Amino acid sequence: MNLLAFASIDENKNALLENFRNTSDLILYDFVTDNNIKVLLCYIDNFIDRNTLDRDVIEPIVTKLENVKDIKKVLYVSSIKELNDFNEIIDFILYGSVAIFLEGMNNAFVFDLKSWEKRSIEEPPSEGVIRGPKEGFVEDIDVNRVLIRKKIKKSSLVFEDYKLGRITETKISICYIDGIANERVLDEVKDRILHIDTDSILDSGYVEQFIEDSPKSIFSTIGDTQKPDVVAGRLLEGRVAVLCDGSPHVLTIPQLFIENIQASEDYYNRPFLASFFRFIRSFSLFISIILPGFYVALQTFHQEMIPTVLLITMAGAREGVPLPAVLEALIMTLALEVIKESGIRLPRAIGSAVSIVGALVLGQAAVQAGIISAPMVMVIAVTAIGEFTVPSLSEAITIYRIILILLGGFMGLYGITCGLTIMIIHLLSLKSFGIDYASPISPLNKEGLKDFVIRFPLRSMKKRPKEIENKNIIRRGDIGKK
Amino acid sequence: MKRRVKKIILFILIIIVSINAVGCWDSRELNALGIAVVIGFDVEGDKIKVTVEVIKPVPAQSGSEPSSSNVVKYVQSTGDSLFEAIRNVTLKFDRKIFLSHNKVFIFGEEFAKKGIIGHMDVVQRDHEFRESGHLVVAKGSRAEDVMGISSGIRDIPGEYIEDLIKNQPSMSKSVKINVNEFLKYYYDIGRQPVMGVIQKKDKKSMGKSNNKNKKEEELLYEGLAIFKKDRLIGFLDGDETKSFNFIEGEVKGGLIEFPTPMLYRSISSATKKVQNFESLVSPEVENLTVIEILRSRAKNDIEIQDEKVILKTKVDIKGMLGEETADIDTAEEEIISVLNKSCSNKVKKGIETTIEKIQHEYRVDIFGFGSLFHRKYPKDWAKVKNNWNEIFSKAEVQVEVEADIVRTGLINTPSSKVKGK
Repeated sequence: MNLLAFASIDENKNALLENFRNTSDLILYDFVTDNNIKVLLCYIDNFIDRNTLDRDVIEPIVTKLENVKDIKKVLYVSSIKELNDFNEIIDFILYGSVAIFLEGMNNAFVFDLKSWEKRSIEEPPSEGVIRGPKEGFVEDIDVNRVLIRKKIKKSSLVFEDYKLGRITETKISICYIDGIANERVLDEVKDRILHIDTDSILDSGYVEQFIEDSPKSIFSTIGDTQKPDVVAGRLLEGRVAVLCDGSPHVLTIPQLFIENIQASEDYYNRPFLASFFRFIRSFSLFISIILPGFYVALQTFHQEMIPTVLLITMAGAREGVPLPAVLEALIMTLALEVIKESGIRLPRAIGSAVSIVGALVLGQAAVQAGIISAPMVMVIAVTAIGEFTVPSLSEAITIYRIILILLGGFMGLYGITCGLTIMIIHLLSLKSFGIDYASPISPLNKEGLKDFVIRFPLRSMKKRPKEIENKNIIRRGDIGKK
Repeated sequence: MKRRVKKIILFILIIIVSINAVGCWDSRELNALGIAVVIGFDVEGDKIKVTVEVIKPVPAQSGSEPSSSNVVKYVQSTGDSLFEAIRNVTLKFDRKIFLSHNKVFIFGEEFAKKGIIGHMDVVQRDHEFRESGHLVVAKGSRAEDVMGISSGIRDIPGEYIEDLIKNQPSMSKSVKINVNEFLKYYYDIGRQPVMGVIQKKDKKSMGKSNNKNKKEEELLYEGLAIFKKDRLIGFLDGDETKSFNFIEGEVKGGLIEFPTPMLYRSISSATKKVQNFESLVSPEVENLTVIEILRSRAKNDIEIQDEKVILKTKVDIKGMLGEETADIDTAEEEIISVLNKSCSNKVKKGIETTIEKIQHEYRVDIFGFGSLFHRKYPKDWAKVKNNWNEIFSKAEVQVEVEADIVRTGLINTPSSKVKGK
């Protein structure tokens, strides 16, 4: 049922109060102008800029308004809308607009004056860089849009807005560059977003979980970042971004596996260093997934594979340790996760104390008490550090590491091989919005390999990655031929 | 919904069953293993006596150095078969012997003389034994006697022995033979196997010792054991072993020592230095030249001429002047070529006497000329293969050695050279 605004101010006032259930933060201010026109202002407390309202709205109305029809002439605000539908008016009020009702007019005049407290733009702590822009997204979608627009000053950069969540009415914005973005992916994203049916969207994580391809997979098929330059880079590769009001995390679609080891800094640094760091990242990814499982497997099944001198050292360290190697590894891994988790949850001041206690208790005391062998502490420490080089895969690494420890402890290298094979098959079968998750390795793609573990010089990356199929494939002209 | 729950339960069951069914059955915790590094085999009556050196794992604690007597344990047991003897160890020892890290097999001399091939079966058949383990004969003693001696830096005697074996290329006076190579030679009808030799020697007690009366011992890894099929029949000494290695092309280092040739005088007389020189060096003093071998190559051949078999070997040596006690000008090319010649002669003589010794004393072809014969004259081989060792010991030998001194070291003139004259 569409309720329309009334001509009478009192009726409007009653309707609004009823609609907002007499909430205390709704301000209804009625006054009479110099020319005896009854006016009702409606807004949410602290959602708007009061000074502007007083100076540029109330004052001119009181002093200059002669005829209700001329209201647009006296108001010094840029976006003014004449609305009739009551629900629509309420929506605008809830988004920081002020609604003006005039006695004798069926329509309300709505204009945007929103001004609420926001976090300032700062460097996101989880995606710090040494070289490159340091600004990060904030919780406000309008600011985030500006941040992206500042990077890509082109009219073909498009934002499309949606409202999701029956109760939260969260603003969602799909962002893409027309002519570069893959249209099939774009249509798929729109389609899936329109099909979300839920009452609340509190973070982009909600959107991610509702639209991802394989909810049962431990690998995320949707990327997220807190940095506008990363989003701009991905948009320019033909991807689609999804912004969500209230979340500093912007989703990028499709996500490929290789993106986990790519960092924005790779493109700002010269290719040698960038390639070296990518190699380091891939290596530590590998290490942090398999090392504990591999170590347990070697210790319990394949002692003949360990070099003799190392074996003697390891045997010496294990002498007197009461637990089997599997349990030892599991306990240490769990302890590590506990420390990680408590470090995040605890207040900053206590957080550092926890890490000291954790390091002392786990690192030294456990070894000296003879409960855990020293090499195991080292192995777990190495994997823990390795994990942080690829933070976006942290979820998959943590879970897979434990699976591999169990497989290694029960079935040895055979189990580890099985586990890894299953993981690789799973990776190869994943798709992100129709794009193969494992590309450019499978299907093999020459152009994409230029941005693989070895990052080719920007000069030679003439085309956009073909795996995100796009028509407009040329990235840069051939300077050498000029 | 019910079907889904069923499916999930089935899935969990499959995982649990499969892990229980295939997993764990051969898992061994590290602290349940006795890591063996050396095994010695001896004869005990009509039984086999096995001595195993097992590493005692000591927790690595910084500061407290483990004493050398504490790092290994020895355990002995007997049995009718090798496998039984090794397994009998578990009756007396608290840990299961883990053989995958066994580096050295030591055979007592008596044991080796009785033939060892029957016992090699378990070494090949059992999955724990490594074919890279070195085979060594304890010359003049039992295997158990040479075990437990560690006179080097390494505390673990097994590692001490292994390092001695690995030192082989620096003198080339010994051979490095592992299980694999031994069996390869054993199955080759055209050659007979050899093995490394280890001996126990007394050592003068030096430095501060708590017990002055305690006798110190060390091991010597030198020479070579000759086998006829699988039976030990004799030994070669270090220099003969070096000649053997020359023929095999296995000399990767080592020294050649020979008296500095007197011939230099005639060459020196061409120069102005003659008189001074002769007056300084008395002919009675024998000076020595030592060449350090950089690399050597051998090319062996066999030939039938008028029903007679000729064994040919051509050895190429590249060397470096290591020491020169005579007063000669080593910067001069002609002098070097004279040195080259006498070096070649020395090596040639050594090779000839070694082959002769083997031909007459042991009458077995340990060089593998038989295989060469087989390759070159496959048709004739069928006729000779059954008494090849006889033919070998009667064959004529032609040795050719070419030594080349390619470097003279950091100084050009020997220290004994009188400067400025």
